[in-house]
Amino acid sequence: MPIDRKAYNAEGIWDELVAPNGRARAGAGGLFRVLGRLSGERLAARQAAADLAIRTMGITFSVYHDQTKGAIDREWPFDIVPRLIRKREWDEVSRGLAQRVRALNLFIDDVYHRQRALDDGVVPRDYILQSREFRPECVGVDIPHGVWSHVCGSDLVRDERGVLYVLEDNLRVPSGVSYMLENRAVMKRVFPELFRHYAIHPVDDYPRELRNCLASLSPRDTERPKIVVLTPGIYNSAYFEHSYLAQIMGAELVEGSDLVVDRDDCVYMRTIEGLVRVDVIYRRIDDLFLDPDTFHPESLLGAPGLMRAWRSGKVALANAPGCGVADDKVIYSYVPDLIRYYLAEEPVLPNVPTYRCVEKKSRDYVLDQLERLVVKPANESGGYGLLIGPHSTRREREQFRRRIRANPRNYIGQPFLTLSSAPTFVKGRLEPRHLDLRPFILSGERTYITMGGLTRVALRKGSTVVNSSQGGGSKDTWVVDN
Amino acid sequence: MKLQTLSRVAERIYWMGRYIERAESTARLIAVHADLLMDLPVRRALDWRVLMDITGSNALFATLHDDTTERNVVRYLASDPRNPSSILSSIANAMENMRTVRDTMPRVTFEYVNDLHLFARSGLQGPLSRSRRVEVLEGIARRVQQLEGFLSSNMTHDDKWQFLRLGNHIERADMTTRIIDVRSGAGSADEPFEPIQWRGVLRSLYALQSYQAIMQAPVEGPAVLEFLFQYEDQPRSYASCLNSLMFGLRRLPRSETPLRACNAMIRHVQEAEVRDLEGAGLHDFVDGRQVELGNLHDAIASTYFHYVPRVPARARRKEAKGQ
Repeated sequence: MPIDRKAYNAEGIWDELVAPNGRARAGAGGLFRVLGRLSGERLAARQAAADLAIRTMGITFSVYHDQTKGAIDREWPFDIVPRLIRKREWDEVSRGLAQRVRALNLFIDDVYHRQRALDDGVVPRDYILQSREFRPECVGVDIPHGVWSHVCGSDLVRDERGVLYVLEDNLRVPSGVSYMLENRAVMKRVFPELFRHYAIHPVDDYPRELRNCLASLSPRDTERPKIVVLTPGIYNSAYFEHSYLAQIMGAELVEGSDLVVDRDDCVYMRTIEGLVRVDVIYRRIDDLFLDPDTFHPESLLGAPGLMRAWRSGKVALANAPGCGVADDKVIYSYVPDLIRYYLAEEPVLPNVPTYRCVEKKSRDYVLDQLERLVVKPANESGGYGLLIGPHSTRREREQFRRRIRANPRNYIGQPFLTLSSAPTFVKGRLEPRHLDLRPFILSGERTYITMGGLTRVALRKGSTVVNSSQGGGSKDTWVVDN
Repeated sequence: MKLQTLSRVAERIYWMGRYIERAESTARLIAVHADLLMDLPVRRALDWRVLMDITGSNALFATLHDDTTERNVVRYLASDPRNPSSILSSIANAMENMRTVRDTMPRVTFEYVNDLHLFARSGLQGPLSRSRRVEVLEGIARRVQQLEGFLSSNMTHDDKWQFLRLGNHIERADMTTRIIDVRSGAGSADEPFEPIQWRGVLRSLYALQSYQAIMQAPVEGPAVLEFLFQYEDQPRSYASCLNSLMFGLRRLPRSETPLRACNAMIRHVQEAEVRDLEGAGLHDFVDGRQVELGNLHDAIASTYFHYVPRVPARARRKEAKGQ
């Protein structure tokens, strides 16, 4: 099925595969030829095969269901048309991501130690102290390699001119990498012929890299440090990923109740052979649930004493507690400055222009321009609690005006970006749908960046919300030579 | 270095094994009992209450129903969510246990369990004609066997596998003794129908055919008791279950205590004059075996699980979803 240029009216939108003249963008020609040779029915059959593969491979995400009071596993929505990125562009993006995460880790380490950047006024001290994610418990803690965010997932978006921006850095517990890996596996099963046309860079070295990264944090100098993945349990929406990562890394998947911190400040897990010492915990629960002795006393997801063990260097936590301080969207707006400050380099990747409501001039602008802007709370993720100005009602805008005035520190405004699109197989046709890209950056002894990342696509026409909990799907992402 | 088996995971797999076994034996029990009733004169005293005795359900059942009618009993045993051991509850429990440890088992396992659950749920809900009932119960038993067969040939036979089998066999041993126990309650009025009832006992344990081949004797109490208690090569016999438990425990680390208990149990059953047992004596003997099975469970639990959930699952669930 050739891409229908009339149906495909991507005016004012940058398409990843289709140039404004309707032709394939550089590198996409081979893909177009293969798609063009397949009828609508045969494409639909491929899509059905992909859906079936996803079902049998058990690739799911969970949605909490109110009626049954339980988690429902939904199959991961997947589109068979891949998204292409040329290697040359990706190298540049990788450089930018590495630079960014290096600066962010230096910043977090600085915040919890000398606070040079605050003394020098690069970031106002108040913003840090008022951040919900600043943890006084982390002050003065020395951790391996000075790295706090070991697994970072940065969201990239392209605007209508084709410029790639970093929209946010998820420094705490970013998810999605398992879907990146599974998407490739599904694609190989249902579209093997496409792989003949391209030199596609593989993505499957991620598990090994993740394991190496985590192992490099081990407090004990052993050949095979004991690594575990700490999950809040099966009712968490990302449980599939927790279980998947544990499996492919060869790590135990533990819940808080499997762990005990003994009087020697070491962490042990309860096994049928007795207590076994744990060196590195890849934790997939938020800071405040890690340790009831330190944070929420009523929390049951973590293990009492975990922070004590971490602070005394007996166990490594990845990502480190407190790293969310740099994940705050107000802090985000300072990343370019932080790169210049710590690395004396110019940022490779631009930020989306960001108006900090805490500053009067910016606030006035945001309040005045609500209809044209996107307003985001500083500390939410998953696309929750934001206002998309152009799609909002008067009432919603009034609501946000009040919220911003009541708590300006908690809000930022950004111009509404029309995300780029790519052909997506919907209802028997190839139509443009908006998408973003989440690469993953591993930082330990050394830095590793995924080849591409997870492309999330808004399956609803015109929608720019790509979150899986809100009607988003995904595509395989190909970094190709040419 | 191999992956360590977490106590929590071992416990859940063990319970998954127990629940799956329980679902199958209950399905089988209802089917065989219904079949047996057809061979007996109408309105005989041996009615559906027997199944309440076997499954130890009398107390709970009495709070839910006035009468041990066929409909009430079958519903209670098959699909009542208020009965934690009904077929549907058992399958749902097996599934819940499996869900929490599914990453430790072959991926496809979940589909087998899910299929079993869907089949049982759609088959057992609503009114159930007698002919349809046979079909559904057999379907459940067959699906359980499919699942066990799949696991047997595809799951690594590691520690976790051993726990699954421990669960299977302890439950199986328990059910075998319960089924035998029912015969201990039979009065003299039952005499003319005894062979029919012993045949029912054998059939509910898939053992009639092999009994005939091995014992080469008419179906009568003493020989059946010997066969079901002591004959080691019959998979659902009590002795065979204990041997399997022994085998599993030997493969596990730190198994001295449960192994000792299991050894003693084997000695106790092999040294007993089971052929002579009847009536109250039989009941006491069965009781002794069940107490020992309970103790063996405790020994396994305190050796390996020793895991006290600090909170009910519900609270944990609520919090986890917020993460």
